[in-house]
Amino acid sequence: MLPSGKRGGTVANTFLELRGIRKSFGGVDALKDVDLTINFGEVHCLAGENGSGKSTLIKVISGAHAADAGSIRIEGKTVGKFRPIDAIRRGIQVIYQDFAVFPNLTVMENIAMNRQLMTGARVVDWKKVRALALEAMERIGAHMDPELPVERLSVANKQLVAILRAIINDAKLLILDEPTTALTAREVEKLFSIVRTLRDRGMAIMIVNHKLDEIYEIADTLTILRNGAYVSSGNIREYDRRRFVHDLTGREIAQVQYRPSEVGEEVLRVEHLTRKGAFEDVSFTLRRGDVLGITGLLGSGRGEIGDALFGVQPADSGKIILNGKEIHIRYISDAMENNIAYVPEDRLTQGLFLDRSILDNTMAASLSAYFRGLSLDQQALRRDSEGWVEKIGVVAPSVDPPIRTLSGGNQQKVVIAKWLNTKPKLLVLNGPTVGVDVGAKADIHRILRDLAQEGVGIIVISDDLPELIDNCNRILVMRNGRLESEVAGDCDESRLADLLSGREASA
Amino acid sequence: MKKIQSMDRSLKTLLLLVAAVLLVMAIVAPGSYYGVDNLRSMIFQFPEYGIIAYGMMLAMLSGGIDLSLVGIANLVGIVAAKIMLGMGGSGASIALGCAAGILVGAACGLFNGFMIGYLRVPAMLVTLCGLQLFGGLGLAITTGPALNGLPEKFIQIANGSVGSIPIVLFIFLAVVAAMAFLTKCTVFGSHVLFMGSNAEASRYSGISILKVTLLTYMVSGILGGVSGLVIASHFGSAKSDYGSSYTLLSLLIAVLGGIHPDGGRGSVLGVTLSILLLQLISNAFSILQADTTLKTFVYGWLLIGSLAFTILMEKRAARRKGVRPAVLDKR
Amino acid sequence: MKKKSVSGILTSNQMILLYIIVVLCVLIGTRNQAFLSVSTAITLCRAMLVTLCFAVCEMLIIISGGIDVSFPAIACAALFIPIKIMTDADLDSVPLAFGMAILIGLIFGAFNALLIAHIQLPPLIATLGTSSIINGGLLVFFGSREISNLPDSVDAISKQYLFTYTAPTGFEYKLTILFLIPILLCVFVAVLLRYTMLGRGIYAVGGDANAARIAGFNVRRIRVFAYTFSGAVTGLAAMAYCILMRTANPKNLMGSEMMVIAAVVVGGTRITGGHGGVLGTILGVCLITLIQNNLIMLGVPTYWQKFVVGLVIVLGTSITSLRAKRIAQGPKV
Repeated sequence: MLPSGKRGGTVANTFLELRGIRKSFGGVDALKDVDLTINFGEVHCLAGENGSGKSTLIKVISGAHAADAGSIRIEGKTVGKFRPIDAIRRGIQVIYQDFAVFPNLTVMENIAMNRQLMTGARVVDWKKVRALALEAMERIGAHMDPELPVERLSVANKQLVAILRAIINDAKLLILDEPTTALTAREVEKLFSIVRTLRDRGMAIMIVNHKLDEIYEIADTLTILRNGAYVSSGNIREYDRRRFVHDLTGREIAQVQYRPSEVGEEVLRVEHLTRKGAFEDVSFTLRRGDVLGITGLLGSGRGEIGDALFGVQPADSGKIILNGKEIHIRYISDAMENNIAYVPEDRLTQGLFLDRSILDNTMAASLSAYFRGLSLDQQALRRDSEGWVEKIGVVAPSVDPPIRTLSGGNQQKVVIAKWLNTKPKLLVLNGPTVGVDVGAKADIHRILRDLAQEGVGIIVISDDLPELIDNCNRILVMRNGRLESEVAGDCDESRLADLLSGREASA
Repeated sequence: MKKIQSMDRSLKTLLLLVAAVLLVMAIVAPGSYYGVDNLRSMIFQFPEYGIIAYGMMLAMLSGGIDLSLVGIANLVGIVAAKIMLGMGGSGASIALGCAAGILVGAACGLFNGFMIGYLRVPAMLVTLCGLQLFGGLGLAITTGPALNGLPEKFIQIANGSVGSIPIVLFIFLAVVAAMAFLTKCTVFGSHVLFMGSNAEASRYSGISILKVTLLTYMVSGILGGVSGLVIASHFGSAKSDYGSSYTLLSLLIAVLGGIHPDGGRGSVLGVTLSILLLQLISNAFSILQADTTLKTFVYGWLLIGSLAFTILMEKRAARRKGVRPAVLDKR
Repeated sequence: MKKKSVSGILTSNQMILLYIIVVLCVLIGTRNQAFLSVSTAITLCRAMLVTLCFAVCEMLIIISGGIDVSFPAIACAALFIPIKIMTDADLDSVPLAFGMAILIGLIFGAFNALLIAHIQLPPLIATLGTSSIINGGLLVFFGSREISNLPDSVDAISKQYLFTYTAPTGFEYKLTILFLIPILLCVFVAVLLRYTMLGRGIYAVGGDANAARIAGFNVRRIRVFAYTFSGAVTGLAAMAYCILMRTANPKNLMGSEMMVIAAVVVGGTRITGGHGGVLGTILGVCLITLIQNNLIMLGVPTYWQKFVVGLVIVLGTSITSLRAKRIAQGPKV
């Protein structure tokens, strides 16, 4: 076995060393002069905002992209031509966000598959497959039915299968790409304990993440990228929150918190809203001027409340009262008839029509309003779309290019514009600034504040605590499907984090 | 001139191909090809499969495919013929037969739409199966042989003319106008295109996927029905295996007309030009007295060639931008 | 944990199919006493022979995430061209007939593979195109006249039997030696799918092509294999069909794709890829063949046959899709 290092140990020897890595696509630099050192027996976090080059860097390490310049040294030896299979042979295993498991095959086969491919086996020895799977599980103390098809596993267990597959394949470096995004709090804890076990056995681990709390919990060392460039690297102890955020975003954190000038009449009241298995007995009110935050860990039911208000997954029972009138939401169409708008969590698949124009994307939800006389009023569509692009500050040459060509921030602005064009009374945003750059993030927050002042009910569902604290005057905290508490917007971040995970008793 | 420059590449290619066929025929057989008689005979031919092609277009725009159209067409022809024959061939029976036929077409389409939109069975399988099912029902009704002796007035629909202009041309133009209106000017048409681009995002934009799917295949089924009536009128009889080459032909028209196989992209203009092109080619074959099987052979190459061209161009464009082509994500 | 539960096996897709087949047999048997006999089994085997070969190939392709509607055209070419050449050149050789048939199937299968695995056309449209090219080309270049005089030694195979059963009535039922082809094919494909990395790769590609690529499978090569192997086997089966029918007809098999896809889908292969097996396909073919051949005994006229086959697929796909939906939405562990 490999020499085992202590946490943040200095004696650990180096597995991977990147120096001056450059990579560009069609003239655009994705990576400029990136250095990275990963040692055995440590958990290294790679942090950076979206578009900072994290995924390109992973692809260089895994051999999927060839670097334009720079050197890669593995265990002290410089490598030349580096293809995916070379990376695997040298012990580099990447677990992607979608895990790349086969839903139609069994747990044991998924675990053993790569190993068999590596050894170049032509026939399948099912006894060995089972033995390998059981051995892998044994190593980290996991238990699963090896015969179960993977399509019947939860997200966390699919991830576990991917991890088991990597370790049985003699991984020396395990790279986890945003491993916690789809996990519940308990699952994250379990994952981290597995990661620690592997680290203590001497494996090098790199985790791509941008959640502050999680990084502090698991990382030994840290590298920060920004706009494709290397910013800083070092032991986690060298970073306080201020330095971390500064290095990550390139700015100091100095936000003006949102305080409505006045809070007026009630816009939305929710009473005892329940959806079995998602959330239970949730009641709250939203007044004119409020920007209401809803937060909670994954699986706490925060996102599901948004889905229920918009009719994607309707509630089983409870009342929803909008502007003094009780409404019933069974389908999305019910929500739209009542002028409820929803910016969904997954922008790329749920929010955007990537190949279609900005015009089409801004108008997708309100076409019926433009059917005048006998046909769609094309001129009005264009006029209004251009109006929104200008008003909301979308950076684009015109409304005609496909939305695929815009940055994440501009895309999200268009999704919001799509809904503003329906003249919503209630706007629910689920993760409104995920994958949005700092500038656009501020723009979006300004838009939300303005809308709230104009009397539109705004609900922001997010796990980005600083975002909530800065922009919401009230924050609801969900835990295990229940509304745990409500705090004012000037709440301290660490207290909010404690509320989320239910640690307030010990704090 | 400026207008041509701003046109879609696929439309330009189509115009070029049309010109090429016309040019070749001007050299090879100028006399017989460029005559009023030949023009008239062409107009009598293309509406029946042209109308089917618009059904295929709509289904493909929505991200699906409709291979059952020929089955629907024949079933509709048979139902209409049964009614007309049963009621003695009066004017009322013709009207009733046509109306019932269109209803049957709509019902078949709704069945497809239900299987695709509600049960989430892939459109390819549902409609392939529909071809069997509807054709089979037609066969069961006729028990095999063609239903002959349709009323003369009904036969006149596809064979008669107003002045020197064939009546079917008016029917065809009405369908073209309706489809252009539907896709360009209505909310439904836009929703079909949105759904074809990204069904999930459409749902989150408040577009009812089930409703749009049902309507898409219903309209497609109605078009199949209209075509079925034209076919029955043209042949003066109804049978369960007429027009069996039209499935491939309509798919070819749609693909050649720039309807993207992944959905969401394409236009009525492209499909119309494509129908024109294929009629010119088909007519060139008959003028040159080539075997119809040669046509099948050439159509096969055209289908694969045009699709391969589209996809290779897409891949090249994507590679130039340094991104993984969208086509590859799905396959 | 190690063994699958008994109830799980009893309600598996294959078992349900088996129940339906048994019920159907009993039903036909009550109408016609003569049905439940060895002779019926022999007739059934003969009727299943070619369909089963096609179905196993189609299954392989569907598992890999594709579809092929060109095999009837490939089969027509693979049986007609060799016989035509041999008749014209006055040749008579069994290996030559089978060799040419397999080669022709292989070439067209490779053509499909080129379109689908390399250029990445949608499989349905690509194979529809191929089908049209082959069918049109065959009739254009080789003519459409049926050849009813097969070369003698080729024709002689039709008179070689695995075994002969003499019914109480004195009538002889003989099982052709050609039935070895589907048997060997089924065993071969079952072993291939279960015990070779290539076979597992076919499942992997059908389950998630991208994951397969990352895992290190050569996705393109696996797809190329599926289509070319199917093409070659289609050629072999086509020649068997030709011998069985004792005539070479360039059009007879056209239109049989629906039946075959029906059998595969009813046999539990998911049209979206990644699931399916030989046993299910055998049962699917058995069911469809039974329905096709015995509708009359149940009092259903032949002209309803096409419709009934369509109905069976509708039911089959609806059930499979509802099952898949239930797994997708069902509780996860």
